[in-house]
Amino acid sequence: MLAAIHPRLAIVRRLPLTRDQCMLLMAAVNEIFLGIDTYLAHLISGTIRPNEWIPIVFGLAAGLALLVAGLIAIRNRPLATVLATIVLLASIGVGLLGAYFHLVRAILPTAALGERVSIDLLVWAPPILGPLTFALVGVLGISAAWVESPPDSGVLALSERRRLRMPYSKTRAYFFWVSMGSLATVISSVLDHARTGFANPWLWIPTAVGVFTTVVALALGFLEHPRASDLRIYFGSMLLMILVGLVGAGLHVSVDLTEMNVLVIERFLRGAPVLAPLLFCNMGALGLIVLLGPDQPD
Amino acid sequence: MGEAKSAGDWQTWRVLIIGLLVVAALIGGALIARALVASTPAAEESGRPADALAQSADECVVCHRSATPGIIEQYAISTMAAAEVRCTDCHQVEADYPGAVEHEGVYVLGSPTTAKCQRCHSAEVAQFYSSRHSLPAYVAYAGTQGLSPEHLAMYAAIPEGSFAPDKSRNALFAIEGPELTEFACETCHSVGDPAVDGSVGQCQKCHLRHTFSLEQVRKPETCNACHIGPDHPQWEIYQESPHGIAYMTMGHTWNWQAEAGTLTVEDFPAATCALCHFSGFGASGTTHDVGDRLTWYLFAPISERRPGWQDNMVRMQNVCRACHNQNFIADFYQAADQATLAVNDYVIESDRIMKPLKDRGLLTTEPFDEPIDYTYFELWHHWGRTAKFGVWMQGPDYTQWHGVYEVLSDLAELKAMAAEKLAGPREP
Repeated sequence: MLAAIHPRLAIVRRLPLTRDQCMLLMAAVNEIFLGIDTYLAHLISGTIRPNEWIPIVFGLAAGLALLVAGLIAIRNRPLATVLATIVLLASIGVGLLGAYFHLVRAILPTAALGERVSIDLLVWAPPILGPLTFALVGVLGISAAWVESPPDSGVLALSERRRLRMPYSKTRAYFFWVSMGSLATVISSVLDHARTGFANPWLWIPTAVGVFTTVVALALGFLEHPRASDLRIYFGSMLLMILVGLVGAGLHVSVDLTEMNVLVIERFLRGAPVLAPLLFCNMGALGLIVLLGPDQPD
Repeated sequence: MGEAKSAGDWQTWRVLIIGLLVVAALIGGALIARALVASTPAAEESGRPADALAQSADECVVCHRSATPGIIEQYAISTMAAAEVRCTDCHQVEADYPGAVEHEGVYVLGSPTTAKCQRCHSAEVAQFYSSRHSLPAYVAYAGTQGLSPEHLAMYAAIPEGSFAPDKSRNALFAIEGPELTEFACETCHSVGDPAVDGSVGQCQKCHLRHTFSLEQVRKPETCNACHIGPDHPQWEIYQESPHGIAYMTMGHTWNWQAEAGTLTVEDFPAATCALCHFSGFGASGTTHDVGDRLTWYLFAPISERRPGWQDNMVRMQNVCRACHNQNFIADFYQAADQATLAVNDYVIESDRIMKPLKDRGLLTTEPFDEPIDYTYFELWHHWGRTAKFGVWMQGPDYTQWHGVYEVLSDLAELKAMAAEKLAGPREP
């Protein structure tokens, strides 16, 4: 697909890793970063409660386990697949559980009927979509761990005998995944920026880029035979996501540094989250990996 | 052919067009919704916090809604209730917990101690324990008798605890007696009382229960419950200072609910008590140690530098620098240091006047039993301290007429009183 965007991009075919391996590597790195990010986020209250340690410990452990699975896969692919699947299913469980915990903090079950859910609570409560990132990474990882054979057929080879026919090819499923990931990113960004009341009009840029990428990736998922122009627009939107993420991280750091550019750790914990904009980069990178194609390398 | 070309264009740009249309629709819709919400009268009322307990079936809530409805109303709109902290989380204890009382089949603390707050707010309690608001506040009226070895060690580790504690202790507490001091000295100084469970202090003195409102604890009126009156008129001084005038005229527009630790001049364009002494602001982090940014023991008769005062100064100046340039700040500190030393000189002079009386046994051994005791005490405890607080908080009237002028007046009176005593009893 990269060659369809520009012939010179065919050089990427020389990468030693397949698209699925790249995806699994990204899943492992994401698990580790999710652990670190959750640790920083849970530090805000000053005290990390016992159940708040679950995603922190899990994220780091899951990331390492996936890296180990990657090494095992060199000699024993079925065993690695089983190990990775268990870890990634657990990631989905942790994500859903966390989303539930965050959701109950965002609603007031015993409040008056009209006050149980409010925009203020959704904006200021723990982010509901934050833990769901664990679930998204789990789904992504499982998609990557299960081998599609033949490539782009939508047939997953669960074992030598058992095969599962999916309604879409892996490539299209990945496009859908990138779309959902971008949607989660943009909603999370909107809710975070809503705390400032969108006072700064430049904050609409990540919103617009996130929505655009969501729609473009979704459209690519629905197109059975995307044209080169479709892929170029998709490619451009992913580069925009990466750019927005990098600029955003820089801006968040500058906000946290205070007027005198002094580093106060408290401001990094409670102020603009530095890792959050990098989620845009993350989605952009994942979106680009999809373009490697199912049969890469030869 | 034209139709074929336009169909080709559409095929080429279809994803881009769809993407841009959705972006335009969503952002346009969001802007319209925002404008509609802003123009709706109900939007003005949405600032009222939600009643998190309106239909609660919690048995504490159900019963106390009749027994003590005010408490339920206060707690219902608190962020603690919204975070699902239950009444029992702070009040319920084991049967053998010190101070526990049986209540409806369980054991509770009527007033939860700092130990209960510490379970979630450990850093804040640790900072509070290092502050003048903890044991030094208690020792100032009750002394160190009866404190456990752990308390004594904690007290000794606090800067105010190691600075002439007996000299600063107020003998009036013992003279006035518990019938009065319960409503007087103790009301404020109990902020540092030891509790029966060994913890120290009463967080609820500043964080008024049961709302625990960020706005309430940040507003200077909360501090004026104690920092008021002739001996430490910080509230009055603040009101006449440029910072206080800014608060009084524009404070209603400030962002009192801003996220702690991330405050900027956009939230608070002028200083408040909390901003200078507690809040994370500029390049200084949040603290609950009220002395963490102070350079002098201003409360003492003769002020001395605090241990590590240079670091404290940096932390305070980090706050000042959000609004003032370094030259202004350095000049102010230099001038205020000189003024502090000048007030010290007056108090030293009062000691010099009193010394011959003490040396010759011309004073009674009882404190506060003759007029000269009051004049000597008020000179530093009221007017000397007021003058110094006035200098550092920029209240000129309190530095001058309620401060230095009164010091000079008392010095003249003291000289006359001392001369009279030294001259001996008059001939009948």
